[in-house]
Formats: sequence, structure tokens, C-alpha cells
Amino acid sequence: MKAFIRFFSSVKLAIALLIILTAASILGTLIPQGRSAAEYAARYGGLAGILVRFQFTDLYHSLWFIALLGFFGLNTAVCTLTRLSPKLRRARRPQVAADPKSLAARNPKDRFRRSEGLPAVRTEAEEALRAAGYRVRSEKAETRVSILGRKRIAGIFGPDVVHLGLLVLLAGGIVSGLGGFKTQIVLREGETAPVPKAAFEIRLDKFTTEYYPDGSVKDWTSAVTVLEDNAPLRTADIEVNHPLSHGGFNFYQMSYGFDWETASVEVLARKSGDPGFLKALELKPGERAPLGDAEGTEIFLRRFLPDFVLGEGNRPETRSFQPNNPAVLIEGIREGRKVFEGWVFANFPDFARMHGTEADDLAFELKGFRAGQYSVLEAARDPGVPLIWAGCLLVMVGLGLAFYWPTCEIRAVLEEAPSKTEVVLGGQAAKGRDRFEKEFAAVAAALRRSS
Amino acid sequence: MTESTLFAAAMGLFALSALIYFVFLFNRRESTARTAFVPVIAGLVVHTGALVLRTVESGHAPFTNMYESLSFLSWATALAFVLVNLRFSIPRIGPFLMLIVIALMALASSPLMPKETTPLVPALQSYWLWLHVSVTLLGEAFFAVAFVASLMYLSAKDPAKKDKLDAVGYRAVAVGFPLFTLGGLVFGMVWAQKAWGRYWSWDPKEVWSLITWLVFALYLHTRIVMGWKGKRSAWIAILGFLAALFTYFGVNYLLSGLHSYA
Ligand code: HEM
Repeated sequence: MKAFIRFFSSVKLAIALLIILTAASILGTLIPQGRSAAEYAARYGGLAGILVRFQFTDLYHSLWFIALLGFFGLNTAVCTLTRLSPKLRRARRPQVAADPKSLAARNPKDRFRRSEGLPAVRTEAEEALRAAGYRVRSEKAETRVSILGRKRIAGIFGPDVVHLGLLVLLAGGIVSGLGGFKTQIVLREGETAPVPKAAFEIRLDKFTTEYYPDGSVKDWTSAVTVLEDNAPLRTADIEVNHPLSHGGFNFYQMSYGFDWETASVEVLARKSGDPGFLKALELKPGERAPLGDAEGTEIFLRRFLPDFVLGEGNRPETRSFQPNNPAVLIEGIREGRKVFEGWVFANFPDFARMHGTEADDLAFELKGFRAGQYSVLEAARDPGVPLIWAGCLLVMVGLGLAFYWPTCEIRAVLEEAPSKTEVVLGGQAAKGRDRFEKEFAAVAAALRRSS
Repeated sequence: MTESTLFAAAMGLFALSALIYFVFLFNRRESTARTAFVPVIAGLVVHTGALVLRTVESGHAPFTNMYESLSFLSWATALAFVLVNLRFSIPRIGPFLMLIVIALMALASSPLMPKETTPLVPALQSYWLWLHVSVTLLGEAFFAVAFVASLMYLSAKDPAKKDKLDAVGYRAVAVGFPLFTLGGLVFGMVWAQKAWGRYWSWDPKEVWSLITWLVFALYLHTRIVMGWKGKRSAWIAILGFLAALFTYFGVNYLLSGLHSYA
């Protein structure tokens, strides 16, 4: 046990761990993480097997990296704890009695003689320290009075608060890793879906995309209602950067898409031989409707592609689910027979050409299309998050204490001699030496001047 | 007055001060150092005007592309120098810090950097953009001061000068480390949690911020607990600043990740 504590309280171990953690972290940014086995094989050849086996390809979640973090946490905890109790003792019950020789070895220091008697000088010294903001303790032993003045004593605990904060952060990470849960919920407008592992449902009332004047996306908003047993509890707008928190879950706007399966398409038909003929049809893919011409043609909307490209083997397909190049495949049917077909493009109205036995003089235009949108929300429950914020707060408070709340100490030893008092002053500050030296000089000067 | 005129004027003023500072390096006159400090202050004021104008024109925080964030980083570096010089009067680091400021501004105005203001993509529309980027870059500016002080420490001969450079390096880290922790790590985690729903995703930019932070933690511990002042300490501060630079530039151009916009 002793050996264990000695090992884990060593700052040398901390330094070694800091170096190893840094090196491992660098390695993880050089090897792409979480790719497919084929990609590693192509990139690293024979080395790929070893990389995968030792989890260099998922380094930050590998057993050995987590073990390193664990060691680091243990090191911080043991190191801080073993130093804490002597520090606490020094803060709460400091030794007041001091020896003039050891004070004279301090920097800054001062020594002088006062013609007043010991009790008067003692009061004055205590007053001078108090006036400078110091908390004063003093002790008398025979002909000698020792005075200890200190301020901002909390500063010496700065590093401990930082280290405690780090432990809380690590604990938060563990809790997130073990208790965290996230899932994606896809909702069309009007749809309700249960939230997995929760006792409530969520309904998408409306999904809107806002654009900048130049056409780029400004924001996505899902207006939702939270329901419990079909009874509405609350409504909220979920936007990027503005998640909804409910029942221990956070809901984030992750992505969105168009529901092309149920898109409704508006097609205009004209006849080159008959300028008076103009017919607008509204169809969904798979639907047919009579054109109302003399030939009794029926229009069948076979396919709708939001982003038309010719893929492999010149087969039409969609490149994305964004309406970049919308196109419909139209068929003309007369007396139950397909007599023509052709693609009609929204972006290239002159491109539409019908092929078939009876295409005659019909021309089509893809006038518009309406597709419902679906919104993808991420539902996440992460019980580690409060610990993370608490850890961050502790680290910041600790850093403030460690660097900007410098503990200062001024000691005085007053020695009674016939018809005079010998005074020795010594000061000590871990940080902010230049300011402290000025303060020390001011206290010393005040005490000298009074004579 | 347009933003780019103000930017060019600030750069001219910083160049002027660098010139005078190099004269100071040879003649060692107090008065020369004081003269060199005047265009630094003037440049800082003009540069502040450029940043404000940019913010007003674009309607959002001036750190959404490389030009904007480089401009802010050079401003922050000049500010860090001014503060450190006012507090510790160490004009000796002036010439080299001004060179860094000018180099950052030259890089910002190179034709490679897109300069036009673009509308903010949804993920960047948050006041956390302000907090996260400005505080982080301010912290890195103080690391730049520590970097210059450490390089000069390594090349200086006079023990008194060396002591001062060592102390200034430490004090710059003592400012930079809390700022970097707050801006880079804490605000970064808060924002990531708000925008992506996870406070930490081991994205390369996050990992390199962590690496930078670990290197400076190493600096503090070797110094406080093992008493490594001077040479070794200076080397660690130099490595730390290089890690910060890599976090800033290298990750964007050499590694890929979520932080692709700035
Ligand atoms: C990345 C992780 C760490 C950070 C950010 C950190 C932070 C700090 C800070 C800011 C200080 C004060 C430094 C100063 O006053 O200049 C400090 C001091 C110290 N740290 Fe750490 N620390 C870390 C890990 C550790 C570990 C693992 C140990 C375990 C051995 C450790 C041991 C110490 C000790 C012994 C001190 C001096 C304490 C004192 O002066 O009372 N630190 N640390």
C-alpha cells in the first residue's frame, strides 16, 4: 500500500504520463480514426492488421488509452490527497513562533530597532499588517513576540482545486461513456414518434428552412410538441445551436430532407398545333390522370428524381436528395397502351422530348413540385454533462486561485532589549513577487517611520 | 474608410514600430524603445477600428474565415505585447513580436485567403462563437509572447536579461494558460454540447487543443514541482506555441474534421 501511494503520488509519474498522453493523442490525429478495414489495408498495407489489433484505429476509445487516462486520474488524486493534509494544517493552524535567523534568510527581509517597548511595537506591527489586509496571529514567549500575517490563504489550494476539477471531468467522461444514450428520430410534419427509453413522445408540427438572400441556408427550425400519453405537454422550436431539453433528454436539429416518395408534381401540357390548348396536372409519382385532349390521352407520372444524373449504364438516378435538378418521367397512355414517354426537367424546359409511336405535338413542362420535408432530430441523454460543467468550473476557479490569488506571508519577530525593541521582518509570496515586495516595503516603512 | 484601408494602415504602423524596435536592438536607447511603442499603440487603435468595421459590415463576429481570424489573432498578439510591455517594461521582445504580428497580417492579406464576408452557416450562429474564438486566440497571443521571450532567453548571454526573459515567459503563460483553458476547452465544450449534442468528439482540432494544453501543463509542472527554470522551460514553451500554431493552421490544412469552417 505504501509503495502504491509512493508510486502514484510521484510528480515524475505525472510528467511521464503527460508526455505519453500527448504522444498518443498526436498519433491519433495522424492515423485516421474509425475508417473501414479496407481503407486501412490500402493505406498501410501489412501494418494495417497491427494497427487494428492494438486499437490505433479507434485510439481514443481503446482500452489502453482509457487505462492511461485512468492512471492519470489516479496519479492526480493520490498526489493531491497526500499533499492536502499538511497544506490544510498549515492553513488552519500555522506555526506562529519563528526564529529571527530564519527570517533574516528570507527575501524580502528587513531589520531595525525601535526605541519603544515591546507591547507598543507589537500593537503597531499588528496594526500595520492588518491595515495592509493581512490576517494576524501572534504569540509571546519570554522576551520574544512572533507575529504571523497572511492574506489570500485560499491561493495555496488553487492547484488542488484544478486537480479536483480534472478528476470531476474524468468522472464525467466515464459517466457519459457508460450512461450516455443517443438516437436519431426522423419525423415528417404531423408525425409523432416515441422517444426511446423515455416516457414521452415528440410530434413535429412544422419544419422550416430559412434562406439568406443569396440562397444559402440560414437556419433550420423544427416546431415540436412534447406529448405524454397523447396529451400535449409543451411546444418548442428546435434550431441548430438551440436544442430542446426535456425529461433528461436534449433534442438537437441534426439534419433534414425532402420526402420525395410523396412529392406532388405540377406538369403543364401544351400542343404546338393548338395554341389554345393548355392543361395543368397535379400528380404524385405512380399516379395517372386524363389529359382531356381529343385523343383521350392519359398521363402517367412514372418517376420523380430530385437531382437527376445519368448513372452507370446511362441509367437515370438521383445524385442527392436535394432538388438540384428535378426531373419527371412522363408516359402517355392511349387505350391502355403506352404511346410515348420522356424526361421533363425543371431546369431545362427546352430539353423535354417525348419518344414513342404517337408523341405527336405534345410538349410538357415541369412547373413545380411540392414535397413534405422530414426533420432528423437527435435525442441524447448524457448524465455525465453536469459533472463536466462542474469540473470546468472547478478548473477555472482553481486556475484563478493558483495564478491570481497569491498567498502572501509576512512574519515579524520582536525581541525585547533594554529600553528598545529589535525588529526582524521577513516576507514570502509564491506568485506576484514584484507587487508583494512593494507591499512588504510599505509595511516595513510604516513600522520604521513611527519611531 | 473601409476595413481594408484601416487594416493596411495598422499593418503599416506595426511595420514602422518593428523598424524602430530593430534600431533599438542596436542602439539600446530607452528613448528609441519609447518611440517604437507609439506606433504599436496607434496601430492597435486603428486595427481595433478595422475589426469593429468588419463586424458591423458583416453583421457577425469577425472570426468566420481564415482572413478574419488571422486579423483577430494579429490584433490579439499586438494587444498581448502592449499589456506585457506596460506591466514588465520589456521592449526587447518588441521587434520579434512585431514581426510575428506583421507575418500574421501578411498571411491574412495573401490572395490565398478568402476575404469576402459570407453569411453564417447555421452551426456558427451563436454567441459562443464570440466567446470561444476570441478568448482562445487571446490565450494563444500570450503563448506567442512566451514563445518570443523563450527564444530570446535561449539566445541571450547576460544572466540578468536571461532571468527577466524567463520570468516574463512564465508570466505570459500564467495569463495564456487560463485564457486558453477557458476559451479553447471550456467554451469549446459548452458550444459543442449546444450545437452537436456532445461536448467532446475527439475531433482533430479538439485533440490538438488538448495537446497544446497538455504541453503547457507540462511547462507549469516541470517548473513549479521540479524547478526546471531556464533552458528546458524555454524549450517547452516553444513547443507549446508550435502546438498552438499547428492547432490553428495545420489541423485545417493537413487533417480533416468537424471544425472545417475556421
Ligand atoms: C493536465 C493535467 C493537469 C493540470 C492542467 C494541472 C494544473 C496545475 C496547475 C495550474 C498548477 C499550479 C501551477 C502553478 O502554480 O504554476 C499545478 C500544480 C501542481 N500539480 Fe498539477 N495539473 C495537472 C496534473 C497533475 C498531476 C497528474 C499531478 C500528480 C502528480 C499534478 C501535481 C501537481 C503538483 C504537485 C503541483 C504543485 C502543487 C502546489 O504547488 O501546491 N498535477 N497543477
